[in-house]
Amino acid sequence: MTSDALNPLIHVPARLRILVTLAALDDGDTLSFTRLQEMLDLTAGNLITHLRKLEDAGYVRAAKTGNGASSLTAVTLTRPGRAALDTYTAALRDLLAGL
Amino acid sequence: MNGTYDTGQSGDADGGGDLDPRQAAAIIEQTAIRARRQFDPSSPIAAVLGAGVFLFGYGAVWWSMRDQRVYTGPAGWSVAVLYGLIAIAAIASRPVVRRATAGIGGRARRQMQMQAAAVAAAGIAAWTVQGALRYLGVSFEVVYGVYGPTVPLIALAAASTGFAAARGRWPELGLAIVVMLIAAGSTFFGPKGAWGLTGLGCAIALLLYAAVLRTRLRRPVRS
Repeated sequence: MTSDALNPLIHVPARLRILVTLAALDDGDTLSFTRLQEMLDLTAGNLITHLRKLEDAGYVRAAKTGNGASSLTAVTLTRPGRAALDTYTAALRDLLAGL
Repeated sequence: MNGTYDTGQSGDADGGGDLDPRQAAAIIEQTAIRARRQFDPSSPIAAVLGAGVFLFGYGAVWWSMRDQRVYTGPAGWSVAVLYGLIAIAAIASRPVVRRATAGIGGRARRQMQMQAAAVAAAGIAAWTVQGALRYLGVSFEVVYGVYGPTVPLIALAAASTGFAAARGRWPELGLAIVVMLIAAGSTFFGPKGAWGLTGLGCAIALLLYAAVLRTRLRRPVRS
């Protein structure tokens, strides 16, 4: 097995950290964009870029509430996203076992 | 794994192509530990503070009554120490809980609100019964010496067990059960036993709980 077996969408440090952080919450829980950014120490633009890719793949869902300065974006890990992370972790374990 | 993924994009464009599997494993491990630590409102520090309340607060009340042959109640200073310590622990724990739950929404927040309501209702009910017992003429020794330090605590712990079990939080469930058993068992030993044994037993239980929490926070990630 090679690292090609690892989902390339997840196999990126920033996106891996986003998914693992969201996976630490229970199913159905959301995390604010601000808290996620603070925890991962990413710039807003960088985080938005990575979240958009994960959202396009259906791995996360971002929902915005409110308007203007009072608006809040909440991010949640979807079931396919959690399953993809589990699959990635399992593949990574297999890969490391073979090294 | 059988095969590869096609997401229509290169991992290299995001810096993922150079990511060594060992580095990826380390990222998962470190991020999961950090996230778990930051999201968990049940911190070892708060548990140690709780142990201090039981050891020194309940201990102060026991100390003030230790030579009483006939129950006359705890000294005023000891009750002040107990409530002072409860207030300090509550104030000190508040930032930990607020920091842990900041930005989290959805089911977790609703569950926390429901849990707070259930625990508050259990406490109010237990203290109401305490008032009723006194109103019905039950002695001070039983109402304040035995019931006071144990039954409200049992009610609060009982309310917590349901939520701990529902969320699969075994350390909290174990702690709540142990607290109930200690408090219930200590009632057989009268006011001094109720305050002394409950204080000492719950302090030890909370210190063990803090040790379990600390171990869990450092535990490697499994998936």
